Amino acid sequence: MEEEMHTDAKIRAETGAGSSPRGPGCSLRHFACEQNLLSRPDGSASFLQGDTSVLAGVYGPAEVKVSKEIFNKATLEVILRPKIGLPGVAEKSRERLIRNTCEAVVLGTLHPRTSITVVLQVVSDAGSLLACCLNAACMALVDAGVPMRALFCGVTCALDSDGTLVLDPTSKQEKEARAVLTFAVDNVERKLLMSSTKGLFSDAEGSAPSTNQSLPRSSSSAWLRPRRLRNTSSASTGNRCRGVTPRAETSWGRGPLPPPPPTHPLQPEANQRPSLASRSYGLM
Amino acid sequence: MAMEMRLPVARKPLSERLGRDTKKHLVVPGDTITTDTGFMRGHGTYMGEEKLIASVAGSVERVNKLICVKALKTRYIGEVGDIVVGRITEVQQKRWKVETNSRLDSVLLLSSMNLPGGELRRRSAEDELAMRGFLQEGDLISAEVQAVFSDGAVSLHTRSLKYGKLGQGVLVQVSPSLVKRQKTHFHDLPCGASVILGNNGFIWIYPTPEHKEEEAGGFMANLEPVSLADREVISRLRNCIVSLVTQRMMLYDTSILYCYEASLPHQIKDILKPEIMEEIVMETRQRLLEQEG
Repeated sequence: MEEEMHTDAKIRAETGAGSSPRGPGCSLRHFACEQNLLSRPDGSASFLQGDTSVLAGVYGPAEVKVSKEIFNKATLEVILRPKIGLPGVAEKSRERLIRNTCEAVVLGTLHPRTSITVVLQVVSDAGSLLACCLNAACMALVDAGVPMRALFCGVTCALDSDGTLVLDPTSKQEKEARAVLTFAVDNVERKLLMSSTKGLFSDAEGSAPSTNQSLPRSSSSAWLRPRRLRNTSSASTGNRCRGVTPRAETSWGRGPLPPPPPTHPLQPEANQRPSLASRSYGLM
Repeated sequence: MAMEMRLPVARKPLSERLGRDTKKHLVVPGDTITTDTGFMRGHGTYMGEEKLIASVAGSVERVNKLICVKALKTRYIGEVGDIVVGRITEVQQKRWKVETNSRLDSVLLLSSMNLPGGELRRRSAEDELAMRGFLQEGDLISAEVQAVFSDGAVSLHTRSLKYGKLGQGVLVQVSPSLVKRQKTHFHDLPCGASVILGNNGFIWIYPTPEHKEEEAGGFMANLEPVSLADREVISRLRNCIVSLVTQRMMLYDTSILYCYEASLPHQIKDILKPEIMEEIVMETRQRLLEQEG
């Protein structure tokens, strides 16, 4: 039984090198995902966003070394390998962000004293790398059958000097932007799981209701609705879903985003200030 | 020497000729299954604010009042009485750790292992020191599940003479959900080989021993060279099992035998080609349907 993904939004194909400027508000680059492509890991997925591509493999729940075991829940480990060179400090910090996001979502208490390992390999990097890694990790965890509370998605936004917001920026747009923000949102209650920000932005842009609605809501609605699982019981290997870029104005029938919790990362302050903040917090 | 190369091409969806009667209810983690609180929750679900929510991606199965979500791929979950084939990973004090494709390594206690000669006595300190002489790291054994611990780890025993260390043969690792549960998992196929269908997805194909000696499955592995005819039969069986697995068919002695017979006109190495695989499995399916109905 096959289920195709149907949506009435237009597909906007984005070529690799700095193509036509996208409209404000927000469309994503062409994205695609394939699951079950590796034979050894329990679950694997490859996620493409435009030209950025990440391959993820999940092993687990499996045996854990006694030094690393936690008595009442599963030990989650994330390993991120860059395309060239050895992993460095940037990879370690990304690993921590991805691990905290996954820990918030994976039901670790069902498998005490086991380990779940997520291995991510960057195949190509053309902007929004952290978001692509988060998406690939989520699809790989789903493919492995690891029990999770919800699905999550990652999206990167870039604010350029005149305040326009671009979702899913290319590397060129990221370099020219004033601020780059990455969010991870879950699909049940659309709560924010993780945010990582870099650059200068004002509170008005960050926490004002309009931007607040457009930032996480457009990002989450952009990813979560088209993401359905194709039944693989009839397919031999792998399943593939083609992504389309919906417009941000379409409402998906889930209602407006709840008001930001008091611990919103983008704190209300009157001045612009530089921020290299990365915060990750769980679903509570 | 001629070489054949195959390149990846867009996959065709498998057709509907199997007659799936009802549309399955597919869910992803976070989807609400039902808001009715009268149901008991099974595997793959969790309770969140009076709603039953799925925790894995798969199809919803309902048996009377029990709702569970069956994921596509899981590791082996042990049940008492299952036959498993496993590989020794560690030799510890008074027990061996066996890898059986489950979440935690299985455990084979020294007291659950039958000693050579089938004698029954208390295991002494000398037995403990001689453990490595019985089973080393890397050995393959067949065993039965004795008990399941609370964290999911499985305790094995080889208390019968038909279990024990495995000698020469071929191991095929498949998904545990494809092995059908039957009364017996040790089969002597009429084509000339024997097969052990482990519930954990490890399948062992070996040449049928000529005479059933008392110590079959004991510690002495038979290292005599296997004849070419036997080896061909074993390779053909292995390729048939791999083709059944790629077409997601259940594995049991009848299906393996029919697949073997359907593959006889082809050469052994041709069985792994996708179009021949489809042809063979289709024939197997037809024969199985005829046999049932």
